[in-house]
Amino acid sequence: MALIRVEHVDKSFASRHGTISIMQDISFEVKDSDFVAIVGPSGCGKSTLLRLIQGLDRPTAGSIYFQDQKVESVCNQMAMVFQSFALYPWLTVAQNVAFGLEALGWATDRIAPQVERYISVTGLDGFQEAYPRELSGGMRQRVGLARALAVEPAVLLMDEPFSALDPLTAESLREEVLQLWRDPQLPPDAVLLVSHNIEEAIQLADRVIVLSRRPGHILAQVTVDLPRPRDRKSAAFYDLTDRVYSLITQGGGTVPPSAAAEGPAAPG
Amino acid sequence: MVGEGTSRPIGPELSGASTVSPPSTDPAAVSARAAKPVPPRWSRPATFLYLAVPAAVGVLAASDPGFTAAGLAGYLPTATVDVSYSFLRMSAAYLLSLTFALSYGYYAATHHSGERVMIPVLDILQSVPILGFFPVVVLILYNIPPTGFGPNLASVVLIFTSMSWNMVFGVYESLKTVPSDLREAADTFRLSGWLRFRRLLFPATVNRLVYNSVLSWTGGWFFLVEAEIFTTNGKALPGIGSLLSFAASNHNTEQFVAGLIVLVIVIALLDFLLWRPLGHYAERFRFDQTPSGEGEILMPAGTSGRFRRAASYVTRGVRTGVSRLSTPLVQLAAITVRPSRRTSARRQALIYHLSLGTILVLVWLMLIAIVVAVYTVFSGTIVPSVRAQMLMIPLAVGFSVIRLVVAFAFCLAIALPLAIVLARGPQARRVGLPIVEVVASFPATALFPVIIFELVPYISEEGASILMLMTGMIWYLFFNLLSGIRSIPPDLEEAARSFGLKGRKLLRRVLLPGVFTALITGSITAFGGGWNTLIVAEYLNVGSGSSLSVLGVGQLIDLGYAESAAGGYPLMVGALFALIASVITINELIWKPLYRRAVDRYRYD
Repeated sequence: MALIRVEHVDKSFASRHGTISIMQDISFEVKDSDFVAIVGPSGCGKSTLLRLIQGLDRPTAGSIYFQDQKVESVCNQMAMVFQSFALYPWLTVAQNVAFGLEALGWATDRIAPQVERYISVTGLDGFQEAYPRELSGGMRQRVGLARALAVEPAVLLMDEPFSALDPLTAESLREEVLQLWRDPQLPPDAVLLVSHNIEEAIQLADRVIVLSRRPGHILAQVTVDLPRPRDRKSAAFYDLTDRVYSLITQGGGTVPPSAAAEGPAAPG
Repeated sequence: MVGEGTSRPIGPELSGASTVSPPSTDPAAVSARAAKPVPPRWSRPATFLYLAVPAAVGVLAASDPGFTAAGLAGYLPTATVDVSYSFLRMSAAYLLSLTFALSYGYYAATHHSGERVMIPVLDILQSVPILGFFPVVVLILYNIPPTGFGPNLASVVLIFTSMSWNMVFGVYESLKTVPSDLREAADTFRLSGWLRFRRLLFPATVNRLVYNSVLSWTGGWFFLVEAEIFTTNGKALPGIGSLLSFAASNHNTEQFVAGLIVLVIVIALLDFLLWRPLGHYAERFRFDQTPSGEGEILMPAGTSGRFRRAASYVTRGVRTGVSRLSTPLVQLAAITVRPSRRTSARRQALIYHLSLGTILVLVWLMLIAIVVAVYTVFSGTIVPSVRAQMLMIPLAVGFSVIRLVVAFAFCLAIALPLAIVLARGPQARRVGLPIVEVVASFPATALFPVIIFELVPYISEEGASILMLMTGMIWYLFFNLLSGIRSIPPDLEEAARSFGLKGRKLLRRVLLPGVFTALITGSITAFGGGWNTLIVAEYLNVGSGSSLSVLGVGQLIDLGYAESAAGGYPLMVGALFALIASVITINELIWKPLYRRAVDRYRYD
């Protein structure tokens, strides 16, 4: 069954110069145990889409369903990992990880073991009492990840989580996220990743949703059926990367007929 | 992978969502749904309010049985003349401040040797309550010929002192913070002289100068009214302040309302014709960049942020001032704590503060001793009654501090919720902020005579005094808190929403810690304003017999001035020194350590 259903979503903003349309007629589904990546040129509304899905913001038209319930306020079955980490500088690592649990109203004695568990899952043991500014970028994003996982979300939403990290750190964190997703004992069931890095998307996801330039619409949904672990240097990987890349560069306003690989491609 | 999540019950938030749809607090979402046309350059509520203020005053006045519109109209011409006098004084003081700010700020920023002396001097002058010097300045300047020149000069100098510091810092800091790449680019093109000024230095200063000017004028009106009321004690200086206190003391509602109306009109005209256009002009000279990217267009066009911007500039000034200020006293105290001895950090801090406190108290006693000694040498012994009052000085300082703390607590109780509501609700901000700005730009001192004549019977002298103190404190606190809440990084707010943090938890975990640094700087500036207001809030003689007098250091300064003919000088000067020493002590012992801690723990990076 579909975990998330996005149906004909439009989003526009009023601005100084009139209404600006961010995205038009976005429709797709995320199934249980899916790892879906959304890629597209900057400004195509990728991050906005993620916020619409969690209910942080409302679409101008269309609807979003989570487990067949319309998303109308912030959905606590999903948790977000932010590009900028969004850690609270005045809270320790442990307090930051406990943040979402406190919001859910967990009792203090239940929070502590849960926090411990996810601190060790994300490899933060020994840093419980540190403050975010004392950590490196990679460690900070681990805190962001632990905070999101601690509430045991069905869906993990990741908004360019590796963009602010150096390449080596990003690479190892990617592997860890994959392992978490595959581990049946651990959340999340599905991951929705927003990225502007095509290789990253293909390396991680089962399916890559390609958005066009603003106003963003779906150019194609590309299924990635390469075996894991994926080899970035393999010919198949390179072909897929190339295909997505040309979709984005050529498919500015219209949809090339051949590009609609599978799934419903939105009309231009 | 096992679909564990699908069997999980859906959270209460989601299941309730189909029926309850809480209003989104996201500004972009609201503006998108409302899809309103872009608001005009000056916002409507402000315009409305400018019209509403005189109307409301009129309605209030109409409750007075003897009040007639004809009588009111009859007073309008003289009121206009009086406000013109005040306006001329303000303009003179402003031009003086502008010249002073540009030359002092420019010299300090460009000459290293000058900087090392000029900036600490300015820091001290800024942190000392200017109004304490009122009586001294008036006494010195009052009798300068020709007739009428002296009182006017005194008044202009006093307004100048209230206007200039923040402008000097504006010029100095904007010159010091010109981005180095811009400076270097100018160097590579060998830009010099007039062209360098036009292309680099002027654009660098103009933004802050405009915003600080807005604040200076607002503060200037506050002090102008005070100055005129103060200098009119017996000797009239025509102007809006003396008009209002004269009208209030004669219970002449018509004249009072006429004065208020003309004052509000002048302030509104200045706002519309000068500050708003200038503010828009100055916007383009800002160096700090807004974050670009997808979020860029999500930010709704701000309706009016002048005060917030101005407050944040002043806040920045206070911050650098606090972290820069290293008075000779502090250096002296630091000598007692040499790091050579192996003591714990906590103990070292204790020793440091104890020695600093001791030194300050000693300095304070020494100053009083010097005053007494000098006075005894030049004019014989101190009058017994004055000596008795001088012995009251320590007690008076205590009372004043308690009064300030109480007023501060009330201000905080009002300003914090107000700031949170206005900063977080876009609807509330659009309507509420312009109203608050208009109210804040009205000099509350103009209403002091009314407070004394109408409110004292209900809230006692003590209550009236605290109320007047609050008017001198609350806006510093409010605008600092507002800009503090607005500067909490949007991703932190979004994360809180994403994890569903609400209500008290949101306040405790995110808003209060996020605003803590701004609270400290706001408190420092608010107390600065409070010390200044003490001079009129503890003792105010408004014409015929009606006066307010509560024991405090401000009162003693005023009493010393009032009794200057009868040997009151030592009281005035002694109380003034006590006031200054208290301010410096409290700054050093309470605010600076607090501020450092706030920056350590609660800054964003």
